[in-house]
Amino acid sequence: MEPGQTEQIIQPATKKRLRLLDKIILTILLLVFLFAFYVTLDANKYPALVRVVAGEDKIGVNPTDQALDFGDLSRGTSAVRRVAIENGTGLPLYVFAVRTGSIRTLIKLDKNYFRLPAHAADKIEFSVYMPASAEIDRVYDGRVFLFKIPIL
Amino acid sequence: MNHFARFILNFFIYIAIVGGLIFGLPRFLSWSLQTPYPMAAVTSGSMWPVLNEGDLVFIQGGQALADLKTGDIIVWRGVDGQGFTIHRIAKLNGSQITTKGDANFNADSPIEYDQVVGRALTWPARLAGGGNKPVHIPYLGSITVLASNLQQK
Repeated sequence: MEPGQTEQIIQPATKKRLRLLDKIILTILLLVFLFAFYVTLDANKYPALVRVVAGEDKIGVNPTDQALDFGDLSRGTSAVRRVAIENGTGLPLYVFAVRTGSIRTLIKLDKNYFRLPAHAADKIEFSVYMPASAEIDRVYDGRVFLFKIPIL
Repeated sequence: MNHFARFILNFFIYIAIVGGLIFGLPRFLSWSLQTPYPMAAVTSGSMWPVLNEGDLVFIQGGQALADLKTGDIIVWRGVDGQGFTIHRIAKLNGSQITTKGDANFNADSPIEYDQVVGRALTWPARLAGGGNKPVHIPYLGSITVLASNLQQK
């Protein structure tokens, strides 16, 4: 180095160690994420749809057990689908259904947000009533998610 | 100012803002919409698909009641003074109004003008793409219904 020149020392960035509180918060967040991930993965997912047909008292049923297909309904008619749920675990489950899509507001449930005891089975009844304001020939569709959360 | 004093000050400012919104907003809406009932929660699907269960709608009083017309969505009170209905005007006949829920097949029994609490606030036609579309906040009405149910218990 020449006389009169200054030297600039660049230090490498030092790693800041996590405090105990940070570690606790991170662990809790990770557990919450894993729990939510598990519940979402474990949820039953059903495509749901219904078609509005012209006329009176017309019901067309699609006999599938793969989807909540309410078939063809004319205004003023209704259709019901049942979903069986079984709790094969040793823990009670908190069960609730979430409806999405344009069919969301048409589907009514006979029960929602309930506790299913360990090793028990139950049925949820999904019904669709076609109101007077439904558009003829329109298909209302969406998805139904059945979440089951283990509780103590 | 030390850390603690600043925290307390911020806390009270926050409480004042939230409190102002909670207590002040309904009063402001009452004043601007000229009605003692500026908001209403939709508790059934009778106005589907325009209004869904759990929607919160805004109600206009004052001058809005003077020029009611067929197709307007109004809020009216039952003859017993209990319970409100949010339905669309199907027919105006002298001193009587007949309403009907969009999703219903039958019209309601005619009501008198003095049973009408207000008219649903609608978007200006140029914003809503025409039509008579009410201003509503989805799901927020569910909170109101839940709160009133808890209050009744």
